[in-house]
Amino acid sequence: MAELLLDPKIRFWVFLPIVVITFLVGLVRHYVSIILSSHKKIELLQVQDSQVMIRARLLRENGKYLPRQSFAMRRHWFNNEDTGYFKVQKRTSNAQNPMTDPGMMTDMLKGNLTNVLPMIVIGGWINWMFSGFLTTKVPFPLTLRFKPMLQRGVELAYLDASWVSSASWYFLNVFGLRTIYTLVLGENNAADQSKVMQDQMSGAAMAMPPDPKAAFKAEWEALEITEHKWALATVDTDLLTAE
Amino acid sequence: MSISLKTVQNKPEPVAYSEAALRNNAIVMEYCRTSMAALSGSTAGVLGLTGLNGFAFYMFSVIILWAMFLVKAGPNWKKYYVSRQSLLTNGFLGALFTYVLFWTFIYGMVHVY
Amino acid sequence: MSFYKIILTVGFISLFHSAFSAAQHRSYLRITSQEFTTLPLDIVIQAVGSLFLLMWGVLNVAGNLREIQAAAELNNKTWETQKNIPSFYIFNHRLKAMSPYYVPNEGKGDLENLE
Repeated sequence: MAELLLDPKIRFWVFLPIVVITFLVGLVRHYVSIILSSHKKIELLQVQDSQVMIRARLLRENGKYLPRQSFAMRRHWFNNEDTGYFKVQKRTSNAQNPMTDPGMMTDMLKGNLTNVLPMIVIGGWINWMFSGFLTTKVPFPLTLRFKPMLQRGVELAYLDASWVSSASWYFLNVFGLRTIYTLVLGENNAADQSKVMQDQMSGAAMAMPPDPKAAFKAEWEALEITEHKWALATVDTDLLTAE
Repeated sequence: MSISLKTVQNKPEPVAYSEAALRNNAIVMEYCRTSMAALSGSTAGVLGLTGLNGFAFYMFSVIILWAMFLVKAGPNWKKYYVSRQSLLTNGFLGALFTYVLFWTFIYGMVHVY
Repeated sequence: MSFYKIILTVGFISLFHSAFSAAQHRSYLRITSQEFTTLPLDIVIQAVGSLFLLMWGVLNVAGNLREIQAAAELNNKTWETQKNIPSFYIFNHRLKAMSPYYVPNEGKGDLENLE
């Protein structure tokens, strides 16, 4: 097979721009998604609810280390028929769901906007603008099965399989540059991790079930059937007899 | 009671690893590996290696990076990583993809036209 | 700018220079219609040398390693950090009545109703 000679202008006007465009679009997409990402606003009531749930759960699980009277007092505060927290609180469960749904919708829309749309738009643009060039040659021999993958847009039956067309070069870049993004944007990833650590406190609030009414009822039931069994009843003899 | 004591003495003492530190070290290693793949891919492209030579060069640079890493960590590498072998083999294929991309890129820039 | 960043910059420039030299060599060969066999030795040495330089720089720039043994990290923490247990944080307690912004609200079934 005779060596093909490509026009050097292709190098600077097709080959290099595709790499640069792909890379910069990836960067822009990253920052746009940061701008668009809405911080979930946590309402005070929600935090309160979730903390109460946590406290009720802790009481259920570790109440055995409390004296019976203390346990009963705490349970009374949660479960009393007239004044108990779970009984008095009137949470509207249905009113919140339509409130949260539009937020979810916009989130999904934003995700699509930042992920799918650039793929389609930029990919289509590259296909239209840079179509039909042979850009480069992979420096290792490939079998003919790679031809449809590497030579999109250039249907030449007798071309060696290691030549790469411009459209395929774009796709190779899209997939191959991902690791480079983590390299370049590594600081942000680290920042995200520390943010996770900060969110640990309010993280419990996020885990609040969407329907506080039902959750309160379930917790109320669970607390109601909890039997107090003081774990420290025989602690003195246990301590003295051990070993 | 004596039986359990014996088993404790026979077993090597279990070592607790801090997960955050492990992850931090893995991130550092990943950073080095990705950079190494990109850089050595570029170098292979500059040198115009083709075929198996290029893949051999990848092996070569992986091993060089590993050796440099051990030199940097010093004799007490055990303080930072659980095993040396996994340092060599982790992420081998993922970095290979980056390597091939950069190899192709620079090879195209330098040698094809 | 630290020492290793300078090393990285020098390495990048050197690698780029060798790439440029290689491209020049290729075009020279093409003009004089000679067959390409290998690059001149100086370009090869420059490329590989700058690769080593870059790898060494990256290794030192990448970040500090942390000791993985759990005890090693815990040794440096003070007792103040250790005893900080978020599960025991309680914000909604009766001391909030001391706040100047406190507005007592009835019907919420809070602590103050009981006491």
